[in-house]
Amino acid sequence: MVIQHLTKQYGRKRVVDEVSFEIPQGQVLSLIGPNGAGKSTVMGMISRLVAKDAGLIHFEGQDLTKWNSRELSKRLAILTQSNNIQMKLTVRELVSFGRFPYCQGRLQPEDQEKVDQALAYMELDAIADQFIDELSGGQRQRAMIAMVIAQDTDYILLDEPTNNLDIYHATKMMKIVRRLCDELGKTVILVLHEINYAAFYSDYICAFVEGRVAHFGTVQEVITKENLSEIYGVDFEIQQVEGRPLSIYY
Amino acid sequence: MKQRSLQIKALILIGLAVLAVIGYLTINVNPKYAAYAMELRVPKLLVMLVTAFCIGGASIVFQTLIQNKIVTPCLLGMNSLYALIHTAVVFFLGSSSLIARHPQLSFVVDLVIMGGAAILIYGTLFKKMKHQILYVLLAGTVMSTFFSSMQTTLTRIMDPNEYDALLGSLVASFSNVNSSLLLISTVLITGILVVLRRELKLLDVLALGKNQAVNLGVDVDKTNRRLLLGVTILIAIATALVGPISFLGLIIANLSRQLFQTYRHSWLIFGSALLGMIVLVGGQLAVEHLFAYSIPISVLITIGGGFYFLVLLLGKGRQQVW
Repeated sequence: MVIQHLTKQYGRKRVVDEVSFEIPQGQVLSLIGPNGAGKSTVMGMISRLVAKDAGLIHFEGQDLTKWNSRELSKRLAILTQSNNIQMKLTVRELVSFGRFPYCQGRLQPEDQEKVDQALAYMELDAIADQFIDELSGGQRQRAMIAMVIAQDTDYILLDEPTNNLDIYHATKMMKIVRRLCDELGKTVILVLHEINYAAFYSDYICAFVEGRVAHFGTVQEVITKENLSEIYGVDFEIQQVEGRPLSIYY
Repeated sequence: MKQRSLQIKALILIGLAVLAVIGYLTINVNPKYAAYAMELRVPKLLVMLVTAFCIGGASIVFQTLIQNKIVTPCLLGMNSLYALIHTAVVFFLGSSSLIARHPQLSFVVDLVIMGGAAILIYGTLFKKMKHQILYVLLAGTVMSTFFSSMQTTLTRIMDPNEYDALLGSLVASFSNVNSSLLLISTVLITGILVVLRRELKLLDVLALGKNQAVNLGVDVDKTNRRLLLGVTILIAIATALVGPISFLGLIIANLSRQLFQTYRHSWLIFGSALLGMIVLVGGQLAVEHLFAYSIPISVLITIGGGFYFLVLLLGKGRQQVW
């Protein structure tokens, strides 16, 4: 996926300004930056939830806007922060929705199989028949991920997946992200606020400041004392832990 | 197992509806004049069934589109537009005019004006407003206040005798409907269902929220626009047939949701329509034989619906609201 000169304006304010970068396939890419830097908006445009004002998004050799929506939903999945589903829905039914692009609601045996696999992969078998409004935040998040797995796409976009999760669940979520990439070969793109999660669990980092790409590269290239101070405007200390840059700020 | 309980509940509803229908057709019928009684009662019954289907189905779809369980299609403003049309006809043309007297003509006039307004507001305007469904609701609420104020103004300066004649048509009633309207309505409703058959299948996914629906490959804006238009026209048909009655939708849609506890809209719509039939036919039975026509059915529905609405609001305040 190649992004060229992507621009989005709200009123007079350019929230995303001529952003260009390339998403490396089969890797985990984290978008970081301070509030209002435009990372979520970029994510929205990549996932077609937000309309772009200018620029191009090339996906598998074709302009993203020219893709047939149903075909695209077999290649690219997005999970946003706002997932307050208010229907009476069991975990299994929710995960089955992931097969909708393939079967339009009529589950075939192979769809059932994919659903079962996704449930097993996210260790949701025990609660598969519980209603999702009876689950804890962490469990619900896992159910949503299972649905995305059942959707069986090459690209998975996650908008702040660790939001509202405690340290235990957030860390677990990041490990799942890593497994999605390493075991299932997915390309995962995340919007993250926690720099250390980004540094420890992703391969590439794209840092935004005021609607522009400030830095793009591997974790070691981007997470440096100078770069982070420039991006966030706070002093940073960097220590190497397990070959990864751990940033300390206070 | 779950499928089973849905089926049992559906069967019970069908049973109750059949019971209400049989009761309505047979109670207090002198066998000597059975044919005459049927001639009076069958068309009324059919109108009730059609109305129940329109309002029950439209309400479920509308609530899913708005993502809110306590909205009623009353918000679309069709009730007040209906009242305004009828008041304007009597005010400008008189209660003895052709349109006021001729039920078919008045039905067509209602339908054309309401359908036109629906296409204008919920088709074109929706697109202009970048498919922000809440703006459209706001527009509906403003329109409906606007229509009712005009209507109130007209009734205030109207000849009292004319007003008396008008009042009858402003209250929902099944008493004076004729079967030719029934035929037109059924044809129209079938047409709408055929045109929207694709969109109706997407309702389950739409209920997951806009982002999820887009993720799963649904063209949300287009689907919403078409469904909203369909809902408005269904409500317009029901209102043109019997008068302002769409408040009923709030009751039956929520009863259906509570009863079936499922996300599948085919069941919800089915249940809502059946509950509508039970409420309308049962209510009309009570109006005719218990209250001897002293209370119109819309009063029963509004009182019952009002209480139910409060219960919903108070109950849902503590739980999750949509």
